[in-house]
Amino acid sequence: MAATAVTVTSGLELDDMQGLVLRGYRRLRAASFLLYTVEEPAAARAFLAELAPRLTTAATPTTADTALNLALSASCLIRLGLPAAAVATCPLELREGMATPHRSRILGDLGANAPEHWRFGGPSTSPVHLMLLAYATDAARLVALIDELAASAASGGAVEVARLETIDIGQAEHFGFHDGISQPRLEGVAGARHEGGDTVRAGELVLGYRDEYGLYATRPLIDARDDPDRLLPDDVEGSGQRDLGRNGSYIVLRQLEQDVPAFWRFAAAAAGDDGADRRNEVAAKLVGRWPSGAPLVLASERDDATLKDRNDFRYHTADEAGLRCPIGAHIRRANPRDSLDPNPGSSASIAVSKHHRLLRRGRSYGPRLPIDRALEGGDGAARGLYFMCLNTNLPRQFEFVHQTWALSPKFGGLYDEPDPILTAGGSFSIPGRPVRRRFTNLPRFVTVRGGAYFLLPGIRAVRYLGSMGGEPGNSSFPVGS
Amino acid sequence: MPHQEALTVLAPIRAGAEDRVREALAAAAAADPPEAAMPFGQMTGVHYARFFLLDADVAPDGTRLAERLVLMSDVDAPLDRHLTELAERGAAALDRVLRHCDGYPDDPDVHGRMVYLRRHAVASAAAYVNTVGRGLDQILLEERLRDAVEAYLDRCRDELAADDARTARAKIRRFVAADETLRPALEPAQPPDLTFRVREAAHLVVVPAVLLLLTPALLVALPVGVVLLRLHERHDVPDERPADDAHVALLASLEDHSIQNPFIAAGPLKRGPFRRLLTSGVLWIASYAVRHVFNHADLAGVKTIHFARWVFVDGKRRVVFASNYDGSVESYMDDFIDKVWWGLNAVFSNGVGYPRTRWLFFGGARDERAFKNVLRTRQAPVQVWYSAYPNLTARNVENNARFRAGLSGTMSEQEAEVWLQRL
Repeated sequence: MAATAVTVTSGLELDDMQGLVLRGYRRLRAASFLLYTVEEPAAARAFLAELAPRLTTAATPTTADTALNLALSASCLIRLGLPAAAVATCPLELREGMATPHRSRILGDLGANAPEHWRFGGPSTSPVHLMLLAYATDAARLVALIDELAASAASGGAVEVARLETIDIGQAEHFGFHDGISQPRLEGVAGARHEGGDTVRAGELVLGYRDEYGLYATRPLIDARDDPDRLLPDDVEGSGQRDLGRNGSYIVLRQLEQDVPAFWRFAAAAAGDDGADRRNEVAAKLVGRWPSGAPLVLASERDDATLKDRNDFRYHTADEAGLRCPIGAHIRRANPRDSLDPNPGSSASIAVSKHHRLLRRGRSYGPRLPIDRALEGGDGAARGLYFMCLNTNLPRQFEFVHQTWALSPKFGGLYDEPDPILTAGGSFSIPGRPVRRRFTNLPRFVTVRGGAYFLLPGIRAVRYLGSMGGEPGNSSFPVGS
Repeated sequence: MPHQEALTVLAPIRAGAEDRVREALAAAAAADPPEAAMPFGQMTGVHYARFFLLDADVAPDGTRLAERLVLMSDVDAPLDRHLTELAERGAAALDRVLRHCDGYPDDPDVHGRMVYLRRHAVASAAAYVNTVGRGLDQILLEERLRDAVEAYLDRCRDELAADDARTARAKIRRFVAADETLRPALEPAQPPDLTFRVREAAHLVVVPAVLLLLTPALLVALPVGVVLLRLHERHDVPDERPADDAHVALLASLEDHSIQNPFIAAGPLKRGPFRRLLTSGVLWIASYAVRHVFNHADLAGVKTIHFARWVFVDGKRRVVFASNYDGSVESYMDDFIDKVWWGLNAVFSNGVGYPRTRWLFFGGARDERAFKNVLRTRQAPVQVWYSAYPNLTARNVENNARFRAGLSGTMSEQEAEVWLQRL
C-alpha cells in the first residue's frame, strides 16, 4: 500500500490533522471526554483501526452535527505494542506523565492538589491510556454518540476510567469572565500573518512543522522497517525514520475545580462596604479582564461592553507599573505579551513570548452559579473547567507557562505573588497611588482534581497504530521485510 | 561595602574512596537542619556555597580526567577571613568530606585545613557578580527593610490613602527612622573600599591600552585565527543525543525546591592547542566584560543570575561553569538561547559535542533541542547547596537596593510616585 494521499492547504496537511488543532467546535455545544484504560491490546488496536476513518479532521466540513477526536498517553503506545525504540523517541514529559514528584512541584500539584487525590491520572486510579473527545450540537446527539462509542470501546478492550461531562455555560467561565479570548493562531490558516502578536509558526502547535526557532519539536519516530506498508510519512528532518507524530500535537488535560462562592466572597470582603461595583473591580483585578472580556489595560475604571473581548493591546507602554492591570493578574502572567525581557515594549519581547503560547481547548463542567447565590454560600455542586491545551514542546510551552509565569511568586519582579486564581496562600497587590493595596494569604479558588499528558495523533498515525500486530513492547514486524 | 570573591577548591579523591565521598555528601545533603552539616550561615559574608562531585571524564586526546570533590563559595572579601572561618567554624563539616581526599591531614587542625584549602584553591578564568560591591549585610538589611515597610503599609494604608507621594514617602522615612535596626538604611549604601576601586579603574584603562599597543600584532593574527576557526568548526562533531532518563531524573529531583537553583556544567575541551588558546582568550575577554561592563544586575540581558564563574580544570583540558540563578532550568536555558546565545556559543562551543557553530558566535545554542540536550548531558548534580537569601530573586535584590537608595536625598512628586511603585 502506498502512502496515503493527503491534501495540503497553506502548507498544512489538514486532512491528516485532527480537527481540534484548528477548532474548538464551539458550535457543538454538548461535549464529553471519555478516559479509558486499555486492557486488551489486540482488541484496542482493532478499535483504533475502526475509529481512524471516523475521526473529525481539520478538513471536515464545519457543518457536521457531531465531532470525534482521540488522544493517547505514552503508556498507551507501550500497551498497544509500539516498539520500545519508538516509544523512547517520545519527549520525556510525555513518557513520564504529569504525576511525577518533580512535575508535581513545578505544577503546584501539592497538598490539596496532589495526584493521590485525583479522580484520574494519579497513582490511586487506573491508568489513563486513551481519551475520546466527543462533541455534538445537542445533548441527545451526544448521548447517542457516546453510547455507541462506549459499546465499541468495551468490545475494544478498553475500560472506562472517568467520563468528563461538560456543560455549555456560554463564553464565560464559572467565575463569570469571558474566557478563551487570547489564542495563538496558526500561520498559514485563514489569512493569519506571522507579524501579528498572536500568530505563531505551525510547529509551535503541530508536530512535524517548523517552530518559532525554525526547528522541529521532539516527536515519536519509528524505524522504517516497522512500517513496511508505508502508512506513515517520512521524517521531514531526513533521518530515514517514519514520523508517527506528524500532524499531531500534545494535549494537556487538567480538571480544575472552581470554588465560585470562595472567589466572590473574597472579592466582596475585599470591597468591604463599597458595594458591588468595588467587588467586581477587585475580581477584575485578579483576572485582568472585566466579566465582559474588556481588558483592564483598555478599560481601567469600569466594565465597558464596547471593549468586550478586545485583544489588541500591550502592557509595557500602556501600563508598565500595573496601575491598570496588576502585574500579578491572571491574564497578564498567562500571556505577558510585550512586558518581559528582552527590551520590554519591543518586538523582541513579543518574539520571545511567542515561544510560550498554548492553544486552549477546555470546556466547563457543572451548573452555573449566579454571583448573588455564590455570595449566599452556593449550592454545594461541583463545577469547574476541564482545562485542555495543545502545544508541541511541553517543557517550553505548557510547563514553562505554568511554572515560570503563572505559579512563580516572582513573576515580573514580584515577591510573593503566584497566580491569584490558580494558587492559594500567596499575596496579591493592586498597584495604586500613592501606594499599593495588598492582600495576603489568599484563599483557594481552584483545586486540581486530575490531569494527564496525551499525544493527539495525526489520522495516519491512528491508522498505523490500529494496524500493528504482535506483543506489547516488541517490534511488530519481521525485521528486514 | 566589600567586593566579592569566588573560592573554588578542587580536591582529588583518594583511590577507592569515591563511594565514601558520595556517602558523606549524601549525608550532608540529608542533614536536618541543613546548617548542621555545613554551617555556612554561621560564617561571615557567604552568599552561596556548594559541594559537588566533578565526575571522571576522558579528554579527546585520551587523557583520563580524575574525579574531584569541589567546594565553591561566593563570599564577601577578604577571602582570608572566609578560609579561616571555613577551617574553624566549618571544621567538622569539612573534615567529614575532605578526609577522603588526597593530602588532607589525618589529624587536621585549623592551620592544616587552611593550608589544604589554599593549596587546592584555583582561580576563576572569569567570575560574574550580579552587582559588584553589594555585600551580604546590605542585601539582608534591605530585605528586612522592605519586609518591614510592606508590613507598615498593610497596617497603615488607609492613613496614607489620601496623601500625595512626597507625604507618603516622608511617613515611610519616619517609620524607618523609628526602628533602630532599620535606621542605617536612611543613609546610602557605601561603595567598595578605595583600594579596590583604584585597582578596578586601573584595570579598566590599562587592558585596552595594552591591547592598543598590540593592535598591529593582533591584526596580523586575526585572519589566521579566523581561518583556523572555520577549519576547526568544519571538523567539529556535535553530539546532540539527549541525556539519559536516569540522569535527568536525578537532576530534576534536586531542582526547584526554592525559587533559586544552582547550576553546574562541566566538560572537556575539544582537542588541540587552538581550542585551548581560543577558550582562554574568550574567557579573558569575558572576565574583562563582567568586571567592567556587566557588573550591575544584568549579564548581557540576563537578569536572573546572582553569581557565575568559569574555571579551568586539568591543565585546561576541561572547563567547569557554575552559577546560582532564579527560576527553572528550562527558563534559564531559554534565556541562554533567546538572549545570550552569542556569548554561550563563544565559550561553550569549545567544548566537545556542542551544536555546530559558525564564525564562533552563530548557530550553536540557536538549535534549541540540541543545545538543551548538550547542556543537560553536561550538567552535574549539586549535592550540597547553600543560599543566604533563598527567597530573593536577583531582581528582588536590585529592587530592594533601589528602594533603599530612594530613602535618602530629595525627590520631586513625580520621582516619589515612581519610587513608591517599588513597593
